[in-house]
Amino acid sequence: MTEQTLNIEVDQVNSESPKKKKLIRFLKFYLIPGWRDDEFSNQEYEIEKIKSKRRLFRRLLTPLTIVGFFMLFFIAILAVYAPWMTHYKLQEVTLPYYPPGGNPFSPPSAKHPLGTTKYGYDILARMIWGSRTTIVMAFIPVTIAIGGGLILGTISAYFGGPVDYAIMRFVDLMYSFPMLILVIILVPILGQDLLTTLVIYGILYIPYNIRFMRSLVLQVKQLIFVRAAKTGGALKFRVMFKHIVPNSISPMIINFFGGAAGTILGMAGLAFIGLGDPNVANWGIDINWARASFSTFLAALWPGLFIGIASIGFMLIGDGLRDALDPRLFI
Amino acid sequence: MARKSKNMIKYIIKRIIMMLPMLFLVLTVTWVLSHMMRSSPVTNAPGLMSAEQIAAELARIRAQDPWYVQLLIYYRNFFSGDWGKAFVGEQEGKPVLQIIREIFPKTIELMIIPMVVVPIIAVKLGVTSATNKDKAKDTTIRFMAIIGAGFPVFWIATLLQLFFGYYLGNFTMGQFDLQVMFANSPGIGLPGPTNDLLTGFRIIDGFLYNDQLHLYDTLKHLFIPTICMVFVSLAGVTRQTRSSMLEVLDQDYIRTARAKGVLEKNIINKHALRNALLPTSNLIIGGTAAALLGSLFVELSFNYTGFGYWMVTSIFLGDYLVINGLLVFATIIILTGTLVADVAYTIIDPRITYT
Repeated sequence: MTEQTLNIEVDQVNSESPKKKKLIRFLKFYLIPGWRDDEFSNQEYEIEKIKSKRRLFRRLLTPLTIVGFFMLFFIAILAVYAPWMTHYKLQEVTLPYYPPGGNPFSPPSAKHPLGTTKYGYDILARMIWGSRTTIVMAFIPVTIAIGGGLILGTISAYFGGPVDYAIMRFVDLMYSFPMLILVIILVPILGQDLLTTLVIYGILYIPYNIRFMRSLVLQVKQLIFVRAAKTGGALKFRVMFKHIVPNSISPMIINFFGGAAGTILGMAGLAFIGLGDPNVANWGIDINWARASFSTFLAALWPGLFIGIASIGFMLIGDGLRDALDPRLFI
Repeated sequence: MARKSKNMIKYIIKRIIMMLPMLFLVLTVTWVLSHMMRSSPVTNAPGLMSAEQIAAELARIRAQDPWYVQLLIYYRNFFSGDWGKAFVGEQEGKPVLQIIREIFPKTIELMIIPMVVVPIIAVKLGVTSATNKDKAKDTTIRFMAIIGAGFPVFWIATLLQLFFGYYLGNFTMGQFDLQVMFANSPGIGLPGPTNDLLTGFRIIDGFLYNDQLHLYDTLKHLFIPTICMVFVSLAGVTRQTRSSMLEVLDQDYIRTARAKGVLEKNIINKHALRNALLPTSNLIIGGTAAALLGSLFVELSFNYTGFGYWMVTSIFLGDYLVINGLLVFATIIILTGTLVADVAYTIIDPRITYT
């Protein structure tokens, strides 16, 4: 096919209605390298989009990720349908209320399917109501930690210079403290109720995310589209949060799941030491109550199992997402 | 080569000089914290200390002077080794530095085996997991690692106590200072030299005094906590090794090595592992400093009177100088740890230049 005929045919395609020459256009589209037909390119683009979505989905569906998904689903079901799953109210299984005639640490019976714990609270009811506390405990500190880290890390990496220096020295300072011990020292000072504890925990874990986000932004900052945006006269704020952050956020999203698992474990540990809020249904407190002797072991088995299910669910989904989202790994 | 080592010495000196202002900042933060604590005499805790104790303590930290004088006095006390004394509990009247000297060897004894064993096993497991991605081996290793990371440490510790201490009965629950094991055996007194310890390490003391009973007792007590520590701390390093190994195995130079016909064993051990270990080594070295402080939850579950145990106990007792002293000590260890990690990282990775 010479160049002349090619040009003629292009004219024909442009002038006539597209339906007639569909076969020729189709052949050209696939046979001539570099040939671009608007309609076909659009179709191909759409197909590739769907394909890549499907590929991502297929990569997500590894056995362990599915297990993790079901674990979280289980906890979420418990949390959402808590009032329908147990006939004990929340106020009947938390501390200011002492059940009349309560038999502490009794073995499983028809009335209490998993037995009772301290003061005669029903273990199953505490497990079910505790799932709500756990979901709150997982999300609030991680949102604070990751949100703060995202904003401060982006600012630190984007501006550089003295701003960067100041923020990084602050991060270094926080890094030189053992975090959990600092939480344990701060909680009795600032107050033991649930929300305060969660906020303290979230704020203390900001520095880790600052450092992580800073390293991500420093990589993206060098790319061409950021320079293009700057040349186009975009505001600094717009460049930072519209151009840089969406392109560097996916590791932070993965971090969210790992952080949630860590937070569940950390808060359970805090409650285990005895610094948790005693007025909520908290699984860590159950372990603390029941670990003292081996005859009451059953009351400590269940809360640990539930904490494990929640945190492992988050971890597995985080792992699966990392394997699926990481563009450097191809299967 | 000579120039390189000279550069490195310069770098180390620079890092040490950079550490000093950080130390002062950390001290300032701990000073603020010590004034905020409820048990501090400044905030006037009721009932914890007697009136004379409060008066003496206020005179020691010069609470009547302006804050900058107090801060300078705090610095001076820190560098002259006057960290105060414990006020309440069984440690009453002991200087804080002596308390640290007594409890720190115990934590090291607990931690030395996990610190050595864990990196070796975990790297091996991580490499196996990464090279058999999404197969049965990988799934098993990931599952075990995730059980170690996902379940609470104190819960696993309780399970192990139940299994070894209660059902098997051959091991104690891990309680260290109660001589439970020999209490009922006639003719055997308290094991070991209890008052006059040379080093504070119970194992080394057992050898020095040639006291087999003391040694046996110590080893038996250390058995379950060590298993618990190893199992729990395997998880993090294994997962880190797996993910960085997966990243490296996908690089171009691995494909090149495969194409030119290098043995698969050599590809993994020489080409991939050296590069994959860089982020892991950072984790291991940094984690060692944190490990020296002991695991709070393991020590609490086993009543092992080490660093973490006394940290929590003194918080509940309200002994603010002990809390402060232990916190300062912890930060010093972590600062040193980061210094060592940074220097070691430049040695391990030859691509990094010292600036």
